[in-house]
Amino acid sequence: MTATINDRLLGQPFDRLDGVLKATGAAPYPSDVSIPGQAHAVLLQSPIGAGRIRAIDSTAAEAAPGVVAVITHLNSPALGEAPMTGLGGPPRNPFTDDRVLHYGQNVAVVVAERREQAMAAALLVDVDYEVSAPILDMDDPRAAVENNAWGLETHDGDVEAALAGAQVTYDGTFRIAPETNNPIGLFTTVAEWDGDRLTIHDSTQWPMMVRASLAAVFGVPEAGVRVLVPYLGGGFGNGLRTWPHTILTALAARMLGRPVKLTLTRPQMFTSLGHRAQSRQRLRLGVGGDGRMLAMDHDATASLAAEETNFSAIVIGSPEAYATPNVATHDRQVRLNIPNPSFMRAPGHAEANFAIESALDELSYQLGIDPVELRLINHADVHPRSGLPWSSNALRECLTVGAEQFGWNDRNPEPQSMRDGNKLIGYGMAGVTFGWYAAPCTATITMDSAGSVIVRAAATDIGTGTYTVAAQLTADLLGLSMDDVTVKIGDSDLPPAPQSGGSGLAVALAAAVQSGAAKLIEALIDAVGDSSPLRGKTVDEVVAENGGLRLRDDADAGETFREILGRHGLDHLTAEGTSDLAAAAKNAKMATAPAFAARFVEITIDEDLGLLRVKRLLSVVDGGRLLNAKTARSQIIGGAVMGIGMAMFEDTIYDQDTGRIANATFGDYLVPVNADVPDLDVVFVGEPDRFSPTGVKGLGEVGVVGVAAAIANAVYHATGRRMRSLPITIDQLM
Amino acid sequence: MVRAATKLGSVTEGTVILTVNGVQREVFVDNQTTLLDLLRDHLDLTGTKKGCDQGACGACTVHVDGKRIVSCLALARQYDGRDVTTIEGVAAEGELHPVQEAFVRHDGLQCGFCTPGQIMSAISLLEEGRASTDEDIREFMSGNLCRCGTYPNIVAAIRECADRDGDR
Repeated sequence: MTATINDRLLGQPFDRLDGVLKATGAAPYPSDVSIPGQAHAVLLQSPIGAGRIRAIDSTAAEAAPGVVAVITHLNSPALGEAPMTGLGGPPRNPFTDDRVLHYGQNVAVVVAERREQAMAAALLVDVDYEVSAPILDMDDPRAAVENNAWGLETHDGDVEAALAGAQVTYDGTFRIAPETNNPIGLFTTVAEWDGDRLTIHDSTQWPMMVRASLAAVFGVPEAGVRVLVPYLGGGFGNGLRTWPHTILTALAARMLGRPVKLTLTRPQMFTSLGHRAQSRQRLRLGVGGDGRMLAMDHDATASLAAEETNFSAIVIGSPEAYATPNVATHDRQVRLNIPNPSFMRAPGHAEANFAIESALDELSYQLGIDPVELRLINHADVHPRSGLPWSSNALRECLTVGAEQFGWNDRNPEPQSMRDGNKLIGYGMAGVTFGWYAAPCTATITMDSAGSVIVRAAATDIGTGTYTVAAQLTADLLGLSMDDVTVKIGDSDLPPAPQSGGSGLAVALAAAVQSGAAKLIEALIDAVGDSSPLRGKTVDEVVAENGGLRLRDDADAGETFREILGRHGLDHLTAEGTSDLAAAAKNAKMATAPAFAARFVEITIDEDLGLLRVKRLLSVVDGGRLLNAKTARSQIIGGAVMGIGMAMFEDTIYDQDTGRIANATFGDYLVPVNADVPDLDVVFVGEPDRFSPTGVKGLGEVGVVGVAAAIANAVYHATGRRMRSLPITIDQLM
Repeated sequence: MVRAATKLGSVTEGTVILTVNGVQREVFVDNQTTLLDLLRDHLDLTGTKKGCDQGACGACTVHVDGKRIVSCLALARQYDGRDVTTIEGVAAEGELHPVQEAFVRHDGLQCGFCTPGQIMSAISLLEEGRASTDEDIREFMSGNLCRCGTYPNIVAAIRECADRDGDR
């Protein structure tokens, strides 16, 4: 039983439903929330990278105007431990003890009537530190190493023998600087307690996770914790943990018995949330003379905080990238005195792709095989580890359509062979594979007596378009207009839904909505009268259109929703849809396919100044069935812009003596600005995925993957210099 | 010593009178209060956003006497008597400004947090006649960061407005 996708509204490039709210400044983000009687909290964070707090004197701060409390590890109650989530362990609780493990660790919370007063008083808190030498270098022999912490390594075949027997071998080392997510919306928490009940407005991509975490930390019933985030000012993975500042805001509100609001400063966005780990990869490949990859050994090391965990492995997608019979991957995390890395758009995949796709470019020169052709030769026609057929895979089309549209064949592969005046021109490309993910999801659909519906799920719209695509899908499935559908998300009291993360929400939510629509149609059929032509029919025998149901084989035999509900005097009818695609995948006899893509880029480099510019960038993407062509395209261009940042700008710099983040402002940490980005072309290819019930694939992250490699490969083409370290900065090009 | 700053003389707060979106407002503020915080915290005009509080992201862009400024770098008490327009004041009641409309249609927004600042800058850009080429649009919009990466769509929205205004 399934509700039919009519393709009437689905995929259409509707303007996003929340567009007007956002363009008028009326969309309420957590930082826009104020509660009468609220106090303002600010964080005092450690200026040292490692050590111990000998003493804290908060007398002067407590006496400062407007101050209501100074909370430190000395006067805060013991907190419970938040549970593991589907994405690993929680951050280390704040105020656990007197130890300082990284620069920017929370040391005190100052609460005052006004924010200005709290900021001023924070300067009066006198902290006496015993300073130790922080460990900040991944090669420091003192640094503890976690090997294969998550069991995500792959060992398939005999890699060493295959490497030894290969005609051509490759051995390269790649480095990527730590990147900081830096959503523009400053993360904010507003907490209000009523007895053991907590209402919290919080910048998160995962309301259900924050609810579970806070319930455990404060030892209160989960059902009494309500997390609200109708709009989030970006996250890119930052909103996938319950961070210490959220706990501290709720703690302050509990201790003071009044609402408390806390907004991180921009520098605190570097120290209080996660970031993309610093990484080093060694990639060895063994290739036949025909270009076929026989062996891959991918060894990756990433940074990690001193005492926390980060559920991530750079090599997670490497074994399924190409049809390589022998694969070994090694995952290592090195403990440093840094804020803990976390998830940043396409974690692991973006980094690994840089190594693999750069290596293939190098091999294309060694083998004398065109880079596009080399990817086609190694294309994984079936899933390379399981041997199962893909549920969809248009990667070949991505490569060939991309080459055609870009004019790839105009390229003379010889380095330094193309120029325009004093500008060297480079063409580069990269193939893109990604990872499939979906978590269990529920959604309810409630129809009122006028035939309008409300869709509810505890999901979030982090700018991806969840409001819009959920409405579009629902309207399409139920034969309604967009105006008939209201979407309610961003509230943990709604039916349980997973995070906006792992490119998994659209797939899981769409399947839940489709299930809910089928159950609603079934309930409507159950409600018809004896004389109705719909009586006794199954969901598959009817069509939803024009605000009602009719028989599939008789356009005139049907009833409107209004008639059906009206006859029974029903105010409303609710159906709950569910999806658990990861469970279903186990019996699917096919490999669940993520999005695939190919990137083609043209860059110029000023020969005298070393100035690198992206001139054009084409993304060809197999995104399955698109929910909305406009928002889907926006996900890809947005990812591409972040990819440009990864390739050319982004680097979180730790002062090697103190662990201080030396560039924790937007003046110093460079992200792409408008002038760095040309018009970006996006082409979608492929078919609806045949495993995903709606045919939809996740598109939130794939947009970032492959951009760095394509740019680095183009730099080689332009200059003859191979870039194995990101970001590619002007000093490497001079 | 930083602490001295909190022990300034007797005047630490006071009244500022300014016109916001056509309405005269009298607000009692701390001397340290920025124009941004005055708008957001005292007048509940939360459409203007704080993205860095350091003048580097452009999310807090407003118009003062018709010119765009970053309101996080403006101390409120220095703006006594000035005329401020925020995102809430650019369009007539119930209507959208053409730039707002173009941003929505071209999907020049995703999470939407930087959007009010982008639109305030874009309106100025068009009024200043600095939108005559795509290169100019990109250059003069580069003070407004968008981490969702909507830049090409923002350029398309402004380009369309400039074309309609006959600026190109």
